[in-house]
Amino acid sequence: MRPILEVHKYSMDYLTDEGRVQALREVSLSIAKGETHALVGESGSGKSTLAWSIMRYLAPNAEETGGAILVSGEDMIGKSAAQIRKMRGNRIAMVFQDPSTSLNPTMRMGEQLVEVLMRHRGLNRKAAWAEGKAGLARTGIAKPAEMMLRFPHEASGGEKQRVGIATAFACDPELIIFDEPTTALDILTANQILDLFVTLRNETGVAALYISHDLGLVSRIAHTVSVIHRGRIVEQGTVDQVFRAPAHDYTRGLMAAVPKPLERIAVPGPTTTTSLIQLEGVTVRYGDPGWLTRMLNPQAIGHTGAESVTLDVRPGELLGIVGESGSGKSTIAKVASGLNAFTGTIHFDGRAFTSRDALDHAYRRDVQIVFQHPDSSLNPRQTIGTILSRPLKLYGIVPADQVQARVRELLEMVLLPADFATRYPHQLSGGQKQRVAIARAFAAEPKLVICDEVTAALDVSVQAAVARLLVDLQARSGAACLFITHDLNLIRQLAHRIAVMQRGRLVDLFDVADADGPGRHPYTRALLDAVPVLESPAP
Amino acid sequence: MRRILRSPTGLIGSILLAIVTVAALLGPWIAPYDPQAFDVTARLQGPSLTHLLGTDQYGRDLMSRILNGAPTTILFGVFATALGVGVGSVIGVIAGVAGGRTDGIIMRILDGMLAMPELLFTLLIVTFLGGGSTQAMLAVAVTFAPGMARIARSSVLSVRTREYVLAATARGESRAWIVGREVLPNALGPIIVESTIRVSFAIMIGATLGFLGLGAQPPSTEWGLMVAEARQFMFRNPWCVIAPGAVIAITAMGFNLFGDALRDAFDPKRSR
Repeated sequence: MRPILEVHKYSMDYLTDEGRVQALREVSLSIAKGETHALVGESGSGKSTLAWSIMRYLAPNAEETGGAILVSGEDMIGKSAAQIRKMRGNRIAMVFQDPSTSLNPTMRMGEQLVEVLMRHRGLNRKAAWAEGKAGLARTGIAKPAEMMLRFPHEASGGEKQRVGIATAFACDPELIIFDEPTTALDILTANQILDLFVTLRNETGVAALYISHDLGLVSRIAHTVSVIHRGRIVEQGTVDQVFRAPAHDYTRGLMAAVPKPLERIAVPGPTTTTSLIQLEGVTVRYGDPGWLTRMLNPQAIGHTGAESVTLDVRPGELLGIVGESGSGKSTIAKVASGLNAFTGTIHFDGRAFTSRDALDHAYRRDVQIVFQHPDSSLNPRQTIGTILSRPLKLYGIVPADQVQARVRELLEMVLLPADFATRYPHQLSGGQKQRVAIARAFAAEPKLVICDEVTAALDVSVQAAVARLLVDLQARSGAACLFITHDLNLIRQLAHRIAVMQRGRLVDLFDVADADGPGRHPYTRALLDAVPVLESPAP
Repeated sequence: MRRILRSPTGLIGSILLAIVTVAALLGPWIAPYDPQAFDVTARLQGPSLTHLLGTDQYGRDLMSRILNGAPTTILFGVFATALGVGVGSVIGVIAGVAGGRTDGIIMRILDGMLAMPELLFTLLIVTFLGGGSTQAMLAVAVTFAPGMARIARSSVLSVRTREYVLAATARGESRAWIVGREVLPNALGPIIVESTIRVSFAIMIGATLGFLGLGAQPPSTEWGLMVAEARQFMFRNPWCVIAPGAVIAITAMGFNLFGDALRDAFDPKRSR
């Protein structure tokens, strides 16, 4: 039987100010009916470009340089715009990464779903509405009729993504392209969406191209996989073949970089149980209404970022804080680094602080923070040298005449060439920028480094390197670390103890060794069970 | 700069701006005639070889008068804008950095000022201060300040929550250092762009004031005033209205296009 999607030696270039950039090079793949083909690659590898090429939605500066894209044997490249419009949504559909931006915020979700049905299946409004309701019910939404009448902002991320999926399946397409449909969702929701995907796929027998950077996830849902690197497919085969015995070096590197919870890379644990920093009953409230608002609307209330959180970090320890987005884990990071007002007490090194303003220069020197986004955590108008020398001068770490030498040392410490000191942040890659941010934190010779999702914005292979670097620096400096993340596999490799937060509260705090033990909070259990773990390839 | 010249808007804007700058710097010296010399035999003439743009009601050479008026008119626009932008930005930065109640009070006052149409507001100030170039300049500056304050504030606010500013705060940097070294350099782009575009407004408001007789006084060669004086002779020689009017338009367009191109060049999203 003829495959649904065939891509034959397809090549494409982007014409940019800097000249021609090869986006895709002789890409070939085919997907049969009922098959899920995963396309795995890091950012910039061309995986989304391929998805858009199949949908025939090219950037204005794209130039196709050869190859063919066939859907059920029909050549897509030669089709007119009108023919393409007839196919999109009808025979090929797409599910996007971020459900909060892929739905029109000014239209009821039902209308967006019905629109597709009316256009492609020629149903009248009433029939389309009934059909849409049935489609939504298939995606496991409890009250589809009600959901149809809601606007996107009245639904949760998971519900929105279900609507997106229902829209994609609405016209029984032959092919659906999934562009990282779970990346923007919380682990637990993402898991439900994946289950839904598998159910619907088995019901409808649709061919699916599943784009992802998450190897663990792919191994769970796909039949076949292509690994794409710099616009070329470096390896292709069934999931079993590729993941059990990766043939290409790049695939092997990628597999090795995926965090595996049982391969510890942590520094030796702390020997004492005394604490370096202790948060006691820390509560953070946001947006408390002013007196005028309270007068006009007595019901107006603020929002709690963290509710009486008590936890401690021991000297030299790495404490992980995990939780979904909005669970308050970043709030804790901001409190500890003196960026957020709080009530409660912070005990640090024998001293107690009860408000943000009480946190003094000495405290700020001893507690440093590294942020999530390397692109925005370095001032774009300062050179790397200026950025790194600032903490040295501010805290008087070294005499003025040795600052330059120390900056070079710091760069070498994070494995960057010393001549980076004269560069500007935009000349560096994401991973390099994050190394600079880490060097800046360690430049102050702190006792505690707070890492707020430092690996979340990086590619898998870079992530692993940054994590290793952090552990290495921790071992050398003896600093403790508060590591905030949503990546449970990674934190199980790094941390000595893990704190779990949910809706602003600390629900669980345990030794890493006890992760699988009894006595875990049900929420912790659910989180741990939800993460896909990639098995190590056979040696 | 290379990026500005590569776009058509930027190229045209830069060329126009170059011409205008040369006129503003050298105008009085390259003018072929004395701008105030009467020539009774050659009144209200159209363009000819002797008088390239024609003559006005007293037989004065229009080309010479325009060139002579270039420094006054353009410097008026530049200085008025610089003053307005300077004052406005300082207010805006203070509001943006202070936040909270200070911000609220400052911005509500400015909102009140912004509610008045720009030209009316200028006229109001001029009637208080009296006519004349300096007064008109002050009036334009005062009119510009609230708008600029708003732009400066929003620019500061967007930078203030970036992680490198948070990092500086967490380090325990002084407020002056955070504002001067982390926030301002990154918030300056939109302010510079907006002020380039505003120069053209200033020139036009200045010309309007001149036209209404509230700005420069005769026998000044300010362009708006030239249009006003020539108004009654418009049907006998349209050139004495068209010529200064067109130069005002060209200058305004030059600053406008250049400002647009500058904005595009500053916008990292537009550079691929």
